[in-house]
Amino acid sequence: MTPENREVVDRLASEYALGTLRGPARRRFERWRASTAFVDQRCRFWEEQLMDLAKDLKPVQPPAHVWPAIQRRLNLTTRQAALRRIRSFALAASVVLVVGAAALLYWRSLPAIRPTAVATISAKSGEHLWELEVLGADRLVARAANLPARPPGFDYELWALPAGGAPVSLGVLPAAGASSRALTAIQKQALARSTQVAVSIEPLGGSPTGQPTGAVLYVAPLHTPS
Amino acid sequence: MNPAAESPTEFDEQLERLLDRCAAADSRALQRLYALVSPMLFACITRIVRRRALAEEALQDVFISIWQQAGQFTATRGRPMAWMMSIARYRAIDLQRRERLAPTLVAQPEEYRTLDAEPESESSSAAWLPSAELMKRCLALLSHQQARCLELAYVDGNSHEEIARLIGSPLGTVKSWIRRALRSLRQCLES
Repeated sequence: MTPENREVVDRLASEYALGTLRGPARRRFERWRASTAFVDQRCRFWEEQLMDLAKDLKPVQPPAHVWPAIQRRLNLTTRQAALRRIRSFALAASVVLVVGAAALLYWRSLPAIRPTAVATISAKSGEHLWELEVLGADRLVARAANLPARPPGFDYELWALPAGGAPVSLGVLPAAGASSRALTAIQKQALARSTQVAVSIEPLGGSPTGQPTGAVLYVAPLHTPS
Repeated sequence: MNPAAESPTEFDEQLERLLDRCAAADSRALQRLYALVSPMLFACITRIVRRRALAEEALQDVFISIWQQAGQFTATRGRPMAWMMSIARYRAIDLQRRERLAPTLVAQPEEYRTLDAEPESESSSAAWLPSAELMKRCLALLSHQQARCLELAYVDGNSHEEIARLIGSPLGTVKSWIRRALRSLRQCLES
């Protein structure tokens, strides 16, 4: 890289970290950062330096319901929460043992929830990256397997590809472990009309436009399990 | 002197340990991290995204990204607070664009409870920003207009056009102040 290019990278990195690099230029720069170590290094330099501009910001306590929402989205169960549930369950069980047993019998008589649609997203090498299941009518479960290294500052986003329509986002895919989320009416309709799903690379948290903005990396067939 | 090589504060070290544990899928570490840094990240987000529901959504997204990408932080290092604040600010800037495209919005920042910056509070502003004496000295070299423009862009997430409107100066002048301010900072920081 020539000194002139380094100068340009540094100027863009400073404006990117400051937040004044906007629109398509910001998206292009993010892609450049994801693929070029020097660009990433200059961005980190500016991110660390400019942080001092926020020194007078007073912390703001988020509402109490935000943390449980994060736990739900990540399927996290803390030990404390688990202990609370165990204690509650033990207390309830000692009082309503008969009702509990009846409930258990009833639960065992219910058919297991089977996936209504499944897809396996694979790399060109054939290696499985994610396993997807639509459970019942309205829940999408995604399990990460052997993911490629993801560029910093980016997420993988899943899309339904309904016949004759625009892609519909099914949310950001987990980088590890599994995610389980309720499907909206629009997502359910889109899945019902889709025979394929796709994965694109997007800014953190997913596409800001509601349509894929990054490269579509994988496409996989969606089918009904036998 | 390379300012990035300053000794990390104890707070930085604590955050690094928690991020290491997040990378190892320890959910209690994420909960502790949330308790420590969510008020700071939420402060950043609510200055940029004014709609309550959107700001809360952004904060959720940020912690999900932190959980999913903690392994990448441990690989690259750097200041953990800068890494997390960048995730928060960039997500807020993305959502801000969506917010400004939407029809009339309800902006009620007073709905958010601002914490008093008590010295003993683990999330008071004094504790959460690592000392950056050099940057402080470099910022002091900027003109008042240059420093104001940087603050309006960084803290409030304003574009060049919005800053020009806010301070009543021509767009070209604002762009020039910001460009020169950033150049001056770089020269000062790397001298």
